Amino acid sequence: MRKRFYLPLILLFLLVLQGLAMSLLPASLAYSDLLITPHWVLVILILIAVFFDNDDTYYSLLYAILFGLLIDMVYTSILGVYMFTYGIVIYLAHGLKKMLHGNFIVAVLLALFGLALTELLLYTIYSFVQVTQMTWEAFLTKRMLPTGIANLLFFLLAYPIVKGKLEKWAAN
Amino acid sequence: MPSFFKKKRLILILVSFILLVALIGFSLRERSELTWPEKFVHDSVGWIQTIFNQPVQFIQGTYENIQDISKTYEQNEILKSRLSRYKSIMQENQMLKKENEELRSSLEYQDSLTDYEPIDASVIARSSERWFSQMIVNRGEAHGVKRNMAVITGEGMIGKIQSTDKFHSTVRLLSGFGLSNRISAWVWQEDQPIHGLIQGYDEETESLLLKEIDYDAEIKKGEKVVSSGKGGVFPAGLLIGEVTKVEMDQYGLTQTAYVEPAADLYDINQVMIVDRSMPTYDMEQKNEEEEE
Repeated sequence: MRKRFYLPLILLFLLVLQGLAMSLLPASLAYSDLLITPHWVLVILILIAVFFDNDDTYYSLLYAILFGLLIDMVYTSILGVYMFTYGIVIYLAHGLKKMLHGNFIVAVLLALFGLALTELLLYTIYSFVQVTQMTWEAFLTKRMLPTGIANLLFFLLAYPIVKGKLEKWAAN
Repeated sequence: MPSFFKKKRLILILVSFILLVALIGFSLRERSELTWPEKFVHDSVGWIQTIFNQPVQFIQGTYENIQDISKTYEQNEILKSRLSRYKSIMQENQMLKKENEELRSSLEYQDSLTDYEPIDASVIARSSERWFSQMIVNRGEAHGVKRNMAVITGEGMIGKIQSTDKFHSTVRLLSGFGLSNRISAWVWQEDQPIHGLIQGYDEETESLLLKEIDYDAEIKKGEKVVSSGKGGVFPAGLLIGEVTKVEMDQYGLTQTAYVEPAADLYDINQVMIVDRSMPTYDMEQKNEEEEE
């Protein structure tokens, strides 16, 4: 029964850590020309969609909407953008996973797909409301690629730690 | 059955899209205050961040201390030589201050635009979304922080308060200033300060744009830009930055100066929130009162 609270707690912890990382990491690393944005919450959400949810449960989607809204509130001044983006991405990942087996290759591909789609959606919405005026080329080279690579590294780090736990909790 | 599911999915997507547009529209409105759920979330997350911040700050502090010790001797020598000079300056400063006060009292003009009360705060987190230049500090309404107050470090201005919660507030950094965030500023010159408005930030050159300068004003590279204290709640005389480039605008009616912020906008731990002593005329408050 108590295990039900583990997932939201982990996600909340990562959400807090995302903001701390930006202020505590050395400025030369966190604030280079490359706009690397941590999407750690999303990476864990994708793992939840692949290894925790079965075809009929939608915990990952619920958490995506909830924690997307929290990120909107805490770190940006525009509500709804992360909520919508994370919601759509996790919904698609959940749908795609139904057709595939839950193994490492599938998880990596889904993470890559999820990160790319997230970045694209964020860029589209934020340039629509003029939060960013980046050009497409600059976005691709300075934002999307570095962010994708950095978060994929986090994914590779988190995968061995989280995967077994998620499957165990799902079995209960 | 399949068609039913497809219809359901379509409706779901439509509803979520409408919700997105509604939420964006709601948050883009010029809001003078956040809603209570937002304040609640900000404060709760702020507390958690403060807890995690403590050990890291401690380690960082110890590391810096060790570094400091190794340089102590050199610094001591330099400081000794400076100390004697400061003494005379301090005396002079006190005399001038006293004289200033006397002159003011004779004019019955008590508060000065340059006077302010600083509220010390430390940074507990920064936005993880790089397109938003904002950070969270651990002082809020309970400590007297209000919206639009200036935020400075020892080196100069770094931004202003964007929104306040009960115990935390969000700072918008200079690098995130758009057209709607204006600061009335002066280019400091010996004889006559030149007036301009800071409007927007140029990401390519990483500098603020000081616009609306008279077309015949002569501004040189390296001149200091300070806040003028006119309009808004900023006190006068806060250092903003240094002029790096001056350009005629499109129509040749005004000039635009590029101002490099004096303070480091990235490596920030401690800040001061500036509460101006001079009362401010707040348009929003006035309107609200009239409505009541």
